[in-house]
Formats: sequence, C-alpha cells, structure tokens
Amino acid sequence: MKFKDYYETIGLARDATQDDIKRAYRKLARKYHPDVSKDPDAEARFKELGEAYAVLKDPEKRAAYDQMGSQWKTGQDFQPPPGWDAGFEFSGRDSGHGPGSEFSDFFESLFGRPGHSGQHMHAPGQDHHAKVLIDLADAYHGARRSVSLRMPMLDAQGRVTTQERTLDVNIPKGIRAGQHLRLAGQGAPGFGEGAAGDLYLEIAFKPDAQFRSDGRDIYLTLPLAPWEAALGASITAPTPEGPVQLTIPPGSAAGRQLRLKERGIPGTPPGDLYVVLAIALPPADKEEAKEAYRAMAKAFDFNPRTHLEGSAP
Amino acid sequence: MSQTTITFTQGPVVEEQVYLTLAELCQACCAEQEHVLTWVLEGVLEPVGASPQEWRFGGQSLRRTRLALRLARDLDINPPGVALALDLLDEIAELRARIQCSGPGR
Repeated sequence: MKFKDYYETIGLARDATQDDIKRAYRKLARKYHPDVSKDPDAEARFKELGEAYAVLKDPEKRAAYDQMGSQWKTGQDFQPPPGWDAGFEFSGRDSGHGPGSEFSDFFESLFGRPGHSGQHMHAPGQDHHAKVLIDLADAYHGARRSVSLRMPMLDAQGRVTTQERTLDVNIPKGIRAGQHLRLAGQGAPGFGEGAAGDLYLEIAFKPDAQFRSDGRDIYLTLPLAPWEAALGASITAPTPEGPVQLTIPPGSAAGRQLRLKERGIPGTPPGDLYVVLAIALPPADKEEAKEAYRAMAKAFDFNPRTHLEGSAP
Repeated sequence: MSQTTITFTQGPVVEEQVYLTLAELCQACCAEQEHVLTWVLEGVLEPVGASPQEWRFGGQSLRRTRLALRLARDLDINPPGVALALDLLDEIAELRARIQCSGPGR
C-alpha cells in the first residue's frame, strides 16, 4: 500500500487552518470537477481531492493522520503502525459521501470503508448509471452491444464483493449521444421483497476520424483542391451510410456547408448531414508546382487584403 | 470474488419515450424530494402538471438532476448557484458544438 500525502494533494502546508483547507478544497474542486473541467485527468484528480478533504476537513481524522508524522511521502510503501489510532474516536466510520465514491486502500486501512446509508427491510434497489460507447453507424442501423458492468455487492456476511455482469443491450436505431436507455430491473437488487432498481445507460459515440455529431445532425469536413472549389466538381464523399456523389458548385468558399437532407441520424424528423468545405493548398515543392503558382500570380489581379488597406501602418 | 452473467435486455430511450414522476426521478438520481422541489422552484427543472403529485418530468430532466445533484454536493453550491451553473454549462456545450461543427476536421 502506498502512502498518500493529503496535504500535497490539496496544496497546503501541514499547519494550514481549517479555513485554509476549506478554501483550497473549494477552489480545486471547482477546477477539477468532472462536470465542469475539460482536463483529461479531472476525474482522477477530483477523486483524490475528495479523499484528502474527507480526512483534512474532519478535525478527528486530521489529528490521527497528522500523528503519523511528516516524514512520509506520497507513493512510499506504507502500513499503518499497530494501534496507530489508539485514543481516537471517529464519529461514525463513514465519510458522508454519496454513492459511487470509492476511496483508496490507504484511506480504508486508516478510516474504514465509507458507510452505507440505512437500509429498510423491504425497499426497492437503487437505480444505477453506466455509460456505453457505440459506433455512429449503430445509431443509423440499430445494434446489439455487449456492456460489461462491475457492481459492488454485499454478500450474506456483509462483505463487499464485485459481481461482473455482461448485458447484451439492444441499441435502438436513431439514438443520439447523451441520451439514456432505461433497462428495467437491471440496477441493484431490492432489499427484502423490494423490486430491483433500474439501470440507466448513457450513450456516447466513439470518437470518429471523419464524422462529428450535434444531436441528430452529422458534420463532415471535406477538403477540396483550389480548382475544385473554384470551378466546381463532382466528388465522392463518405457518409455513415456509404459513399455519395456530391456536386460542388463553382465558386465554393472554404467553410461553406452543403446540406444533405435527412442523411443524419434517423428519426422523426431525421437529422441532416452537413458537408463543411475546406480548401487544401497543394505544396509548392517541385519546380512545376512553383511555376504553376507563378502563372496564377500573373493570371490573377488578386489582392486578398483589400479590406485591410488603410489600416496598415 | 466475482461471477459473470449474461442477460439480453432492451429498454426505452429516456429522453424520448419516458416521463418520470417526482418519486421516479428521485429514485433514478438518488436525489431527495426536497432538493428536486427546490430546483423546480429555481427553474432548473421544468415539469408539466399543476402539483408535485401530478408533475411529470421529461427525460432530459434525468441528466440535469444528476448534474445539479453533483454540483450541489461536491461544490456546496446553493440552488440559485446550481441554476446559474447549469445555464452556463448549457451555453458552453452549445458553443463547443458550434466550434466543433464549423471548424476543420481533426
């Protein structure tokens, strides 16, 4: 087991006041909250922070933690010394955190596992939430996808075990990113005669190199050669349903969007597919290419900066 | 210790086919009724129906309620603050989508 320096996590010295700790926690929590932050490590950082704060905000736990001494560094191998918590009484061995928060082995070895809220004799099981990644094509055609879930369960002796389940889920045609499927009875088992909870499965699309989605609408960026954009062209473009022949009108500017009606995600109404035009410049890396650019410069009386004139120093 | 079971399952799309009662929404999000009541008063959630007993929440309330719950719990934000944060997060999501759609591909 590795030692965790909670003061380092929260960015404070060991003599920080409770007010300092609260302030530092709030500031970092806003920064790394997974719903707000785009930092790829946000979720992990936020979890670490929650654990550190659970100890440091509580004067009893903090005093016990401090007693271990300041010679420990994060990542060092650590075993709690025997009787380390003698003389400390924790008011309830629970962290007061909501479901789903899991603390490290380090935390649990010192302060026990976060407690579960009181359970009635007969009560419905909790509803659970999970996320599943599907291909964009699945939303066009519908699909069956396997979802592996690991659920912590209490066994007959009250110990926590992990149960692994695989659900074979029907993904309906027309589903969009961010939507949820409700799978009745697939949540936590009920207590006594209570019914099992439901499982809510949030849909997300796997990152796609070509297509981006916004609700039911799909976007594709299509690069064109300058002469294709200027003169018009007939071009084969990919769509999630297979390639289509596209007519590029002459004089198309970069950023122009061509709408392919009802080629987005199916539904009522179906989404549209937008082809966003981009113009790629051929490299002037050979003498012929340079010559062609020089010929263009001669052929055009073209100043792309007319609108800037007068403002130049 | 673990065991594996395989089950075939299907269910409705919450955002399109499901309306939740107050009790169902609370159960689905692990939220307390009084919190949901406050967020309705604050305009974070907009159920149809005259009284809490008759309220029906559209499926998109599921995501909003869970988000509100996490923000309130993790950051200790009061209801007007949650309402403001949700509005701002919606706006950010919309702007990000706009950038992503009009911008060049990766």
